[in-house]
Amino acid sequence: MFKYKRTGIRNLAIALIFTVAIIALGAILDPYNQGQLAVVSMLFIGVLSVTLLTGTSGQISLGQGALMAVGGYASALTILNLGLSIWFALVMAIIVSALAGLLLGFAAARLTGPYLAGTTLVLALALPSLAIRFESVLGGDVGLNVDFGNPPAWLVSAFGEIGYEQWQLYATVPLTCLALLATANILSSRTGRMWRAIRDHESAASLMGINVSNNKIFTFVVSSGFAGLSGALYGLRGIVGPSVYPISLSLLLLTGAILGGLRSIAGALIGSALVVFLPDLIEWATRPLALSEQIGNYLPGLIGGVLLHLTVILNPGGIAHALHRHKNK
Amino acid sequence: MDTALTTLFLGTTRGAVFALVAMGLVLVWRGAGIVNFAQMGQAMFSTYIASSLIISGHGYWFAFATALIAGALLGALVDVAVMRPLTKRSHSGILASESMRATVPVIASLGILGILQSLAGMLWAAEERGFPSPVSDVAVKAFGKTAPFTNFDLFIIIVVLLTLAATTLFFTKTGMGLAMRATALNPEVARLSGIRIGRVRTLSWAISGVASSLAGLLITPSANLSPNTLDLILIVGFTAAVVGGLESLPGSVVGGFILGLLIAVVNVYDAPDDVFLALLIFLLVVLIVKPGGLFGSKRVRNV
Repeated sequence: MFKYKRTGIRNLAIALIFTVAIIALGAILDPYNQGQLAVVSMLFIGVLSVTLLTGTSGQISLGQGALMAVGGYASALTILNLGLSIWFALVMAIIVSALAGLLLGFAAARLTGPYLAGTTLVLALALPSLAIRFESVLGGDVGLNVDFGNPPAWLVSAFGEIGYEQWQLYATVPLTCLALLATANILSSRTGRMWRAIRDHESAASLMGINVSNNKIFTFVVSSGFAGLSGALYGLRGIVGPSVYPISLSLLLLTGAILGGLRSIAGALIGSALVVFLPDLIEWATRPLALSEQIGNYLPGLIGGVLLHLTVILNPGGIAHALHRHKNK
Repeated sequence: MDTALTTLFLGTTRGAVFALVAMGLVLVWRGAGIVNFAQMGQAMFSTYIASSLIISGHGYWFAFATALIAGALLGALVDVAVMRPLTKRSHSGILASESMRATVPVIASLGILGILQSLAGMLWAAEERGFPSPVSDVAVKAFGKTAPFTNFDLFIIIVVLLTLAATTLFFTKTGMGLAMRATALNPEVARLSGIRIGRVRTLSWAISGVASSLAGLLITPSANLSPNTLDLILIVGFTAAVVGGLESLPGSVVGGFILGLLIAVVNVYDAPDDVFLALLIFLLVVLIVKPGGLFGSKRVRNV
């Protein structure tokens, strides 16, 4: 009991430090980097959904982008059709995408490895056709226009003038902080241990009395809720539509989770920062070489792919794992 | 009636190509226990090689043969450079658990896909380019009537049937084919009876590379070639392989033709936008009703 309390306090402290650090960073950066940092915070929630699903429970999904889209559409419809505030819309996004996760979980509990990967990939491809089929509600190819709105008056009077990018960041960070806290608590709880047992040996876990399929479905529900929140925030930047949630978004989340470290929260943070800033970093590093546009466009993809390989073969635990190992030596 | 006939022929030609893709997936799955999501990336790469050869003035058949050889080499390279090191480490660290052993190769193959697509984009520009077909693309005329298929459709079906016949003969009549079947059935016993299972696995990657490159060469004349065009074909091929049970080569071929017809029906009678929706529903129904596929054996899990 005492030990659990201490972990809880530690998690809370880490989450608070994270929030303060991001808010402080947000105050000194220029709008472009504020926007990038906001995207990191949004995708961080999405990468956490992969950490929970793949890192903790061993199920792979290539359709997290589709669940992000479900969250995005749920929040956009709440704002546009019900006229509610973005906060209600975000709660709605979590509920709707968790329900979608429940449905998917029923199918997924019966599938393993490559079957699950393929099925979720088809799901991610099928979703845009839904947007076109129900064009009058979902806005077809173009999508629905939504935004974060204006910062509330009390925030402006406390911090002075707040730009749109800065408001995106400030609206996102508390939610990211909550997601971080929730993940940390799930991982150190009984539920987290059951999920890890299923990941490591399904039959052994089942023999110990863990209900494998119920737990797998529950993982999908929780993970989808995270993805939905992430997707709703991601869409609130301007548009909710098929082009905002392409298939590459699912792969981006997976890449971030793997590069950073599939099994740790720190890894998820490192990974989401990496996938957002890597293209900028490569552009900056290769500027002296004056590469043609054609090569420049594809270089981040190439380097991302190579990094993914090196990670999987040489250091499957990701950057977080490597840092941790170094510290312990 | 004419529409129905057109649908049937469209479905059969597309289905023949999907059957090749599904066969490529099944070969690697049986040989190495991996679903290769990079397969159509490899096919795209070798089709680009063929396209460049044709543009620089070489003949179609020379380019065709070179692409198939490139497909085989690329397949073997993926196995030797990526998958072998991965399986060697599979009993340590993060890969030690059974679920991760199934998951990590999927991630690795997605990495290969990303690398191949970026390389193709760098080498051959991003704009789409066409790809020629070796025979005329006009409708066949016989007995004074216009048939609902073209010469190229006939060509596709003949090439695919020849490939299927060759594959069947290879697996039933040659020693190497027997060795591959033995390795797929039980790697440990195969190794003990003197089969070099490493080589056999690399060979299944190479044959899969040839099959998928062939699919790429046959499908690109009716679509355009770009680094991402063949991704969607992979998804259809995967569904076809799952319908056939993922274990069975005849199953994958039947699955390919079923999917070809399904997609043709959706395209003609509904809207092309609904193809992936139909695919998803079909895949889910198959997985729920008959998880082992139409031809698959019952899956047994060892504790």
